[in-house]
Amino acid sequence: MSVDSTETFRGLPVSHTDFTSYTEIYEHYRRLDADREAARFQFNDTTERGFFMLQRYDDVQRGFQQHATWTTAVRSALNPGIGEPLLPQDLNGSAHQKLRKILNQFFSPVAIRRMEPQARARCIELIEELRPAGRCDFVQEFAIRFPTDLFLSILGLPTSDGEKFVVWSEEFFAAMLSGDMSTATVAKKNIMDYFTEAVNERRAHPGDPDVDMVSRLVQADIDGEALSHDDILTILLTLMLAGLDTTRSALGYIFTHLAQHPEDRQRLIDEPEMVPKAMEEFLRLYPLVFQAGREVQEDGEFDGLQLAKGDVVWIGIAQANRDPRKYDDPDTFDMDRHGASTHLAFGGGPHRCLGMHLARMGIKVVLEEWHPRIPDYRISDGVELTERGGQLTLPTLPLEWEA
Amino acid sequence: MFISIDAEKCMGHGRCYSVAPDLLSDDDEGFVAERGRCWQVPDEQLDLAYEAADACPESAIALLETAPADA
Repeated sequence: MSVDSTETFRGLPVSHTDFTSYTEIYEHYRRLDADREAARFQFNDTTERGFFMLQRYDDVQRGFQQHATWTTAVRSALNPGIGEPLLPQDLNGSAHQKLRKILNQFFSPVAIRRMEPQARARCIELIEELRPAGRCDFVQEFAIRFPTDLFLSILGLPTSDGEKFVVWSEEFFAAMLSGDMSTATVAKKNIMDYFTEAVNERRAHPGDPDVDMVSRLVQADIDGEALSHDDILTILLTLMLAGLDTTRSALGYIFTHLAQHPEDRQRLIDEPEMVPKAMEEFLRLYPLVFQAGREVQEDGEFDGLQLAKGDVVWIGIAQANRDPRKYDDPDTFDMDRHGASTHLAFGGGPHRCLGMHLARMGIKVVLEEWHPRIPDYRISDGVELTERGGQLTLPTLPLEWEA
Repeated sequence: MFISIDAEKCMGHGRCYSVAPDLLSDDDEGFVAERGRCWQVPDEQLDLAYEAADACPESAIALLETAPADA
């Protein structure tokens, strides 16, 4: 076991568990479950600053609600460095609330419903492109492509730019994770030039700010002050970083599950009205962002856990989602599970994922449109699936079907 | 039975009005429009009220036997 029962730090058991490697698929959920069951609170020493782990559902939910004193000065317990500036994520308190208010209307269920017909049509096109081949790398050829098109369309930009955009965003994301800053810089420049052009175009020819996000951003003001050009670019980059890798990864785990569980796949075909419920259960069982970080801003206590200013807190999303104190038989997929939607896959508190309704719509549309067209599929023979730690994803998912 | 929606805890996850659209509705920002309110639930909507409370990831919805003093 990687939780040492004799070693302590400020009276807590010490965990040496590594959550950042490439492993076989589902290994991270095993490690997360094991740490949660080893002790309610523990200190993990695998990073330079270390972190205090909240792992049970009630603690995780309440952890997200400590926003008055725990801030996003640290966003990930695993990577507490400053990193790429993100907006609105880096803001806290009322400054955060004001910027979220500007963005919320574009990500609300009402707004997302407006996008759905277009998203559905695009999804069908992409599936029909793949279908005749009888095989694809689901991750590389579909799961990253569709969210990229959704992202461009929510910004009001042409989805025909998706093909070039996906290359830049993939380069940028990979380079950021591996710390290859020179590649990251080049990829980021392409993306920022593209956003700059879009912003300048909207300044010159504003669209309807009620439905066009970039037009709204260039016209918006907070307390009488316009958003700066740099802040607008940071917002757009943040939405890209938050939305593409995550949705791709969610689809990867969902389709791995469905490829290996024909009975669940068949039920979605026979009872398409079950899709929303199944989706919540997928999100509960396979969260990609398995933790969030926070930095403690003043000395205090969290239900007996003593914390000091500057401490890093780990808010264990996946551990909460699979906590047996909250969910019966938590590591099993149960489409009929009551209350699955209480999962914290999108986080909680004021920083909860802005794009959750967009992500849900995208996943729902894929589940609804893929299965009538490609009902029966399997993972190609001889493939051993691996997952990336840090923020989970499947680098590849080769699927086959009768074309 | 009274249903009470805590406006401080509600973060706009939208699960409540998704499972109980006949009881709750959403506003333009995606929050439940009834947040901050407490009202008596008609018997025929009780099941919906329980569904909504059980769906909330913030535990922002409470069901109360009696009206709170300040409602």
